[in-house]
Amino acid sequence: MAQDVDTAVNAADTDRVRALLRDNFQPQDHEEAQELILGALQDVQHLLGWVPLWATRLVAEHLGVSENRIYGLLTFYADFRTSQPGHHFMLLCHGTACFVGGSQNLINELRDHYGIADSETTSDGELTVQVVNGCLGVCDLAPVIQFDHQNYYGKLDVEKFNEAIAEVIRQGPVENHHEAH
Amino acid sequence: MKLTNRSQFDQLVTTATDAFSQLSDGTKWVISVGMSECSFAKGAKDTFQALNLGITMGKVDATLRQVGCGGWCWAEPFITVSGPAHPPIIYANVNADDVPELMQSIQHGQPHGSALGVIADQPFGDIPSIFDDPFFGKQRRILLRECGFIDPYSIEEYIANGGYSAWTKALFDMSPEEVIEEVKTANVRGRGGAGFPAGIKWESGRRTQAWPKYVACNSHEGEPNVYKDRRLIESNPHLVLEGIMLGCYGVGAERGYNYVGGEHILAVERFKHAVAQAYEYGLLGENVLGTGLTFDVRTRVGGGAYICGEGSAMMYSIMGERGQPRTKPPRSVEEGLWRRPTVLNNTETLASVPSIIRNGGEWFAGIGNEKSTGTKLITMQGPLARLGLVEIEMGASLREVIFDMYGGMAEGKVLKGVQTGGVSAGPLVESQLDVGLDFDSMKPLNGMLGSGGFVIFDESVDAVEFARYLMAFNRYESCSKCTPCRLGNPALVEIVDRILNGNGRMSDLDLIERTANHVIGLSLCGLGQVAPVPLQGMIEHFRADFESKMVNETSAPPREPMLVHAADD
Repeated sequence: MAQDVDTAVNAADTDRVRALLRDNFQPQDHEEAQELILGALQDVQHLLGWVPLWATRLVAEHLGVSENRIYGLLTFYADFRTSQPGHHFMLLCHGTACFVGGSQNLINELRDHYGIADSETTSDGELTVQVVNGCLGVCDLAPVIQFDHQNYYGKLDVEKFNEAIAEVIRQGPVENHHEAH
Repeated sequence: MKLTNRSQFDQLVTTATDAFSQLSDGTKWVISVGMSECSFAKGAKDTFQALNLGITMGKVDATLRQVGCGGWCWAEPFITVSGPAHPPIIYANVNADDVPELMQSIQHGQPHGSALGVIADQPFGDIPSIFDDPFFGKQRRILLRECGFIDPYSIEEYIANGGYSAWTKALFDMSPEEVIEEVKTANVRGRGGAGFPAGIKWESGRRTQAWPKYVACNSHEGEPNVYKDRRLIESNPHLVLEGIMLGCYGVGAERGYNYVGGEHILAVERFKHAVAQAYEYGLLGENVLGTGLTFDVRTRVGGGAYICGEGSAMMYSIMGERGQPRTKPPRSVEEGLWRRPTVLNNTETLASVPSIIRNGGEWFAGIGNEKSTGTKLITMQGPLARLGLVEIEMGASLREVIFDMYGGMAEGKVLKGVQTGGVSAGPLVESQLDVGLDFDSMKPLNGMLGSGGFVIFDESVDAVEFARYLMAFNRYESCSKCTPCRLGNPALVEIVDRILNGNGRMSDLDLIERTANHVIGLSLCGLGQVAPVPLQGMIEHFRADFESKMVNETSAPPREPMLVHAADD
């Protein structure tokens, strides 16, 4: 959470977050405001790719809750990223079907050849991985990964996994994380 | 266009039915593309664009529409073509590259070679009827009836297929008590895994003397290998919504909630869209259809914590807190959301209600077997010939489902076991496959129907590694509130790791048993109470896999496990 303090706050991003909160999160009362915290954080993350400290302040201010409380949620719920991801964001499904299909080999490959574990970014800043302790819901493609919330690569072994990563990095960074949906 | 009385709704039914029947009356070509998260993963958006381009360029005079997921994941991307020349045909695995050839055959009024089957009782030429295929023919599709056939963004298509007729029937022809009575007669039991009768829950919700009350739908679905609820919502969101609305009417609640996992973006989007449409038509909101009654439905999202599938944790999550379970009583029907009475049901349970109200509780109770009525959505994965989502009649044998519907093992694969109940129960082996898929039959075998997720595994999977995986999942997802779960699960992972690293001793199996019973017996909520069960089941059935890794020396006694924090790996 602390590492983003130095991140330059971009005025355009601030405006986008403010607009998002204004347009989609208008609670009738304080009960509803509290119900909207998680949804607002999810939408901020879809917009920016992560939840920077300055954005949590905007959410807290807008919904009338403390930053502390939001910090408590961001660190409890696995979906949220509080540090800036690399150019590409990979969800590596580690559901049961993927495990049975060999997803552990892919996690080992990330550790051995890319030097990253769950929630980490490669030193060149290209790739962040999040291991999904759940399910992407496309088990017929197991073992499966998803890049930047849109590109799936399935039925992977280590070789195809490396090819997929190389291909995605070659394509260059994705600008808007929200466009995918 | 807000409807203000019943006859306006009936009018809408007529126009919607006419419009929908024109899609399949054979007067024009209609191409439907399955568009849901699972088909997007296989390139359905590209297929759709290619078809759209072809139609725009005038290659074929056809209507292009999108439908949801039908459950046949192995055939995606799929399209359905209906038109003047033949009955509707489902084509499997249609990629963008296949589109030009397919369009050409449509131009000639001919079926294309890659047809999966015709949606008709009789074959068409050499294209078989899909119902002759056990994957389709052996299903009993009630919840999935419209999935893969209607546009999830169209409330009119839902209405054309009987949608919201249960809602109007309840509002105008039935008292809330009668609604509850039908649900009780149907004996529909909680599909989230616990199997508690929904009608009884509704009744206690109705009797509670405190207002306001709420109905909450649990669409969180954080379990690995279970995706039935999100596919249902992606493919027919109005069915789930109508179920929630009927729950509100029966219980006497003015507000319903649907809690959807935040990572299920498409399900959230489609459900919100459905709710907005229901408001537009005046099926939700103030003075619904002139009855003077008010109903609201709110969509709330989670943050990717498995524990939020537990009732009280889910409610904390809706209220913007960390999802950590609390002790009961009070039960949530007495004190739930905002400390007000809340009736909580699973998505699938609520989605069963519209058909119960339409057809009667007796009808529903006649499906399945005596103690488990109705149907069950099943997702089955692993090295099988086919993979996907099916709806079976309760009580169907596991063997039949695996070997008929899913086509058996993939070529060259040999079944070693079936992990049942997601991550909350033990595996079954070949000799146990004749067990019926219902709430009670698997319990004596230490298996569980749970939320209907099954994973087949073959000889390439080591039981110790698999047990470690399942144990580590539960350790990771422990909310850390109560000590047995927070510390006991990491300890169990550590013991299994010791065995995997070649330092295990036979006495470790006893240590596992002791520690497991400690966690099971003393944990606060359902997660901890079942967390070690898969490990126990793996030891029970595949003891040899464990024993082969043990060292023989007995000199140094095994160390008690060091308690490590769950976040360490």
